[in-house]
Amino acid sequence: MKSGFGLDLARPSRRHWLGYLLLAPAVLLIGLIIIYPLIVSVDISFQNVNIARLDQPRRPFTTANYERLFSSPDFWNASWITLKLVVIVSLFCFLLGLGTALLVNNKFKGQAFARLLVALPWAVPEVIAVVIFAWMFDSSFGLMNWVFIKLGFIDTTVNWFSSPVAAFAVVCVTMIWKGYPFVSIMMLAGLQSIPDDFYNAARVDGANAWQRLVNITIPSLMPVLGVTLILVMLWVFRDFSIIYVMTGGGPLKATQTLSIMTYEQAFGFFKMGYASAIGVVTLIVCVIASRLMIGRAPDNI
Amino acid sequence: MAGIHIENVTKSYGQLSVLKNFSLEVSDGEFVVFVGPSGCGKSTMLKILAGLEEASSGTIRIGGRDVTDLAPGDRDIAMVFQNYALYPHLTVRKNMGFGLKMRGTDPTEIDKRVTEAAKILGVDHLLDRRPKALSGGQRQRVALGRAIVREPQAFLMDEPLSNLDAKLRVHTRAEISALHKRLGVTTIYVTHDQIEAMTMADRIVIMKDGAIQQIADPDTMFKKPANLFVAGFIGSPGMNFLRATVNTNGPSPAARIFGYDVPLRIPQSFAGREVILGLRPEHIAAGPGAVTFDVMPRLVESLGSEKYVYVDVPVENRVEAARTGGDERRADTIIARLINPDERVTEGPIKLSFDPARLHLFDATTQASIE
Repeated sequence: MKSGFGLDLARPSRRHWLGYLLLAPAVLLIGLIIIYPLIVSVDISFQNVNIARLDQPRRPFTTANYERLFSSPDFWNASWITLKLVVIVSLFCFLLGLGTALLVNNKFKGQAFARLLVALPWAVPEVIAVVIFAWMFDSSFGLMNWVFIKLGFIDTTVNWFSSPVAAFAVVCVTMIWKGYPFVSIMMLAGLQSIPDDFYNAARVDGANAWQRLVNITIPSLMPVLGVTLILVMLWVFRDFSIIYVMTGGGPLKATQTLSIMTYEQAFGFFKMGYASAIGVVTLIVCVIASRLMIGRAPDNI
Repeated sequence: MAGIHIENVTKSYGQLSVLKNFSLEVSDGEFVVFVGPSGCGKSTMLKILAGLEEASSGTIRIGGRDVTDLAPGDRDIAMVFQNYALYPHLTVRKNMGFGLKMRGTDPTEIDKRVTEAAKILGVDHLLDRRPKALSGGQRQRVALGRAIVREPQAFLMDEPLSNLDAKLRVHTRAEISALHKRLGVTTIYVTHDQIEAMTMADRIVIMKDGAIQQIADPDTMFKKPANLFVAGFIGSPGMNFLRATVNTNGPSPAARIFGYDVPLRIPQSFAGREVILGLRPEHIAAGPGAVTFDVMPRLVESLGSEKYVYVDVPVENRVEAARTGGDERRADTIIARLINPDERVTEGPIKLSFDPARLHLFDATTQASIE
């Protein structure tokens, strides 16, 4: 019909071209902002680079960064802190998220409002959330000290940010508060996809509420659960702003995770080669961890 | 095994009454089918029986025990769901044994009963598969199996065949009937399909808008429908309806249909009253008979063994669609179902006849049957 300009993408034999065409912008963007920097940082991690510049000539290949990394107690400390944080935060996010999801999945008056409340922390920007929590845990004016003293748990104000244990706890609390709504939203979506008849059948079979939770709800949520858990773990793993704004990694490196350490090495001490090495190790750990999680996820649904 | 006694059960959501004064006595081992169009309250009644919904008033007794306010699990009933409700994360074996496990039955006993039930239903080779790996018919059997391993006092089935294809449905229908004969457990079966109701039931409960229209065995339901709704619902194709006014032009009361005065066996006092005459398609024959009329068929459908002849109804005999349950077809057309018709019945005018004794009479205002 129309000759000259234009490809007739509606032709069956060309239909896949349209697919590629639509994919192209996203692929290009991902390549530009994720793949390319990734390659660069892997490359840099094998060079002795202080301040990375793209117009610099290549430095000779070296594994010094990695050797230094694995012999550094700071690195092992950061790994340990990260692991603790991931386990504690993921666990509590999961418990709180599932609990709140089960609560707001019930039909009651004000259900929509309750769901909004549950999801609210998710909508608060991380830095603002951190500032709020930093004030709540402030040693002189903080709400928490007042509450704990009133309740009789402590008799003198706690300086939350100068004790390693307390600072770590505060970071955990903040991250859990910020992270559980995501789990809750995902769980709620999962809960709503469970057919009512599963519960009806179980009730006719004489299963009580606990048996229904353990035998139907949890197994039916498993696929969503696995993915959610991975996303939460990765979020804790790489989250930077909460810890940086709250404690900056201190006191005494008690809250220094791998991402904080990477930042500090790269932009505090300008050891970009070394920082890249930490980044690469973090990446590998994340990939392995999520592969394991997905691999273990049951294939039943 | 036990009888079920339902007394004056009602259910309403606020102003909306979905079940009106439902009373029914089901004897031990009986197969009762609740049938009706969607929204008639049949599934609600079943859920109330199962304890999944609360009755607004009334009492239910199963095996003489008042279960009105008992939890579903304490009623000793088993239910088969429309979508089977098999748990996708459990194997067939575990699905079938779920109810027993929840009740804390001994594992070896569970295994014995599951194997036994699986043998009865012919699914013993599938026990270690997941529901996902089964065909529709197999899933349906597993759902039945899950009900029978419990050895309950009654089975409740909520449209268990509606997810099967037509051929399998006929097959499974017969199997459920056979299973019922073998086990002899009281069964309440809900369906919207009158054929399922007719073929399986000992007794049918036909419902509309939350009210029972008639309770009878299938043959009575077919031969003596209590009202216009039942008459139109049971049978396929549905009964033909013709409106007429009773006259006394002749020696006995008669109604003028298709331009003929057809004598009716009703008292003289009906003269002048409007009635609706019901005539089943299969009671119209080709060729001359007691009442013969010449018609021009609008359409002839052949099914091989039988022919459906569609005939336009004279305006004076047309029934407003609303009266017959909203089935528009019946307003201006009747169907004659000619079994083994001769080949000539294809085109052109034909002679049709019927026996006036086959006519069903309904009051045009109350829609109740006139006997």
